[in-house]
Amino acid sequence: MYVYLYDNFLRKDKFSSTVKAMEVRLTDYGIAGKILRLNNYIDAKQVVDDEIKRGAKTVVIAGNDATFGQILSRSATCDCIFGFLPVGPGNTIAEVLGIPAGVEACAVLSRRLKERLDVGWVNSRYFVSQLHVPPAKIEVIYDEKFKVSSVDKMEVVVCNLQPYFWQDGKNAPRRVVHPQDGKLEAFLRPLTKKGWWGYKYEEPSVFPFEEMEIVGREAFAVRADGKVSKEVKVKIKLARNKVRMIVGRERKF
Amino acid sequence: MIFQRTPKYQEAEESFQNEEAAAGADNVETVVGPSVNVEGDFSSEGNIVVKGTVAGSVHTSKHLSVEEGAKIMANVKAGSARVAGEVKGNMKIKETLELTASARVLGDIEVKTIQIESGALLYGRIIMPGLEGMEPKTSRQKYTTRKNDSLPAESLLN
Repeated sequence: MYVYLYDNFLRKDKFSSTVKAMEVRLTDYGIAGKILRLNNYIDAKQVVDDEIKRGAKTVVIAGNDATFGQILSRSATCDCIFGFLPVGPGNTIAEVLGIPAGVEACAVLSRRLKERLDVGWVNSRYFVSQLHVPPAKIEVIYDEKFKVSSVDKMEVVVCNLQPYFWQDGKNAPRRVVHPQDGKLEAFLRPLTKKGWWGYKYEEPSVFPFEEMEIVGREAFAVRADGKVSKEVKVKIKLARNKVRMIVGRERKF
Repeated sequence: MIFQRTPKYQEAEESFQNEEAAAGADNVETVVGPSVNVEGDFSSEGNIVVKGTVAGSVHTSKHLSVEEGAKIMANVKAGSARVAGEVKGNMKIKETLELTASARVLGDIEVKTIQIESGALLYGRIIMPGLEGMEPKTSRQKYTTRKNDSLPAESLLN
């Protein structure tokens, strides 16, 4: 049995035609199921757990990167197969998973090509897309072996499924993160003083890792899958093969 | 003519080149950027590009690239390497080592093949496999005298 979790923004008129077309296509493929619309007050894990108890085998997330991150970070431990129907702007994870946006995603879903994906583990919670630490005075310790520091503030981005872009020039290469490579990738961008008040981003450093610790001289903000918290010490690990996911043939791993 | 459109084949060629560049960037696994300091046992299973400062030890089974302006104050072990910056420490390279004109190396090098560009500065011994048992006699004499030096002064008098 299929359960579809729709993001709240899909209620907008501009997405109604796409959503209707998708529903028709899913019925054609014989994989239509129960539709649940999410809002800010619904706990995704609770909903997924309830539906599994009622016999759901596949939970399909319809929305964008934010929807995907919010649902999977809370329900990564649930015993079911996840699917994804990317709709609207802000869909970078779908490309990595090889799922086309819009109605064509239904065909990928019906093929049921399954893969196990790694997820990140940060201070007793999961993250699937990206973890971001805005510029702060921090030090990063990798695999308890070496320490990375900079003179002033440093920004950290840890990528799992969501690609990380940085633009040094117009033709800057785009990095694609492979969720299956058994490592997370950390991008560090130090800030250096420019002039009296200004700051300038330096070229980023890239470190693949399995375990890392971010230690701050003072409390710093951590944003993981849209959830923001203040921490002094953060431990990030890789949880292997945690999520069973339906992926496309054109996936990037 | 200023607003002339680029032909389709040229666009395709450019996109192919961009894809190639992206693929090349993907091969690079670890990058130590400028103004970043790394301390400790720095090891990686993939290629390493150093543009900042590294202190401790560096180890990779693949390629190591030390860019101009980069500083490594550590013993280095790598599959192959290209040095354009500064290295203070011994280097053990399995295959090929390339020292460019801006390279400054202080330490012994153990390597299979070496390529040194004119202008590179090197202070240390270079050891290459294939000449075992052909060491000049002078070096062996030196070694024996050193060995005697370590003996107590009385035994030398006898």
